[in-house]
Amino acid sequence: MSNSIEVEIRDMVSEILEVPVEKLAPDVDFFKDLNVDSLKAIEIVAAFEKKYRIIVPEEDIPKIRNLGQLIDYTRNISS
Amino acid sequence: MKWDQEKIKSILPHRDPFLFIDEVIEIDGMQKVVAVKHIKETEKYFEGHFPGRPIFPGVLLIEAMAQSSIILYSIVKPDIVKRCPEYYLGKVNSEFILPVYPGDELILETTNVKILDQAAITDNLAKVNGKVVAKANFIFSIQINE
Repeated sequence: MSNSIEVEIRDMVSEILEVPVEKLAPDVDFFKDLNVDSLKAIEIVAAFEKKYRIIVPEEDIPKIRNLGQLIDYTRNISS
Repeated sequence: MKWDQEKIKSILPHRDPFLFIDEVIEIDGMQKVVAVKHIKETEKYFEGHFPGRPIFPGVLLIEAMAQSSIILYSIVKPDIVKRCPEYYLGKVNSEFILPVYPGDELILETTNVKILDQAAITDNLAKVNGKVVAKANFIFSIQINE
């Protein structure tokens, strides 16, 4: 996993959530800290799937609660 | 015809004059549905939209495509739909291309982008005589009443 992909994911999430990248620390909780609801969550998942041409199973989505976990998830499916 | 009015009403909570699906004519697995709305000259809203020059309102094109999206959702998530959830349109990205008139047969093609228990994304085309009259991408939420 290169840093460029981490930056890509961070920028994508920042754009969808309309949150500056500076506020997207790896451990900031999407739901508790950024008030992400089911609509924003599915938007992130759909954008992520389209960009990396993968399918995220529905049961995996609740496990991805912050940027760090999203990057780790990408790392795991890429390895 | 795949679904008649009775079947449609068992899924959609909408009723006349706000039910905008007359038939479901095609179901492609969990990926796509094609529905039909016959635009009748007697529809009440044509009296005001516009007097002497009736045009099917664009906002109702959105509503018809949204109802078609619920039909697709019900095929993917039948167990949730049995619990009579509420549907809330959250985000709409739409384009209106051609006017729709009384007497037109509106074909609504809805495609699955991503459907989860509590939220869904669909792509929609509305067509008349094979021509695309409107396009829309929807993100909507599904609230289950406990």
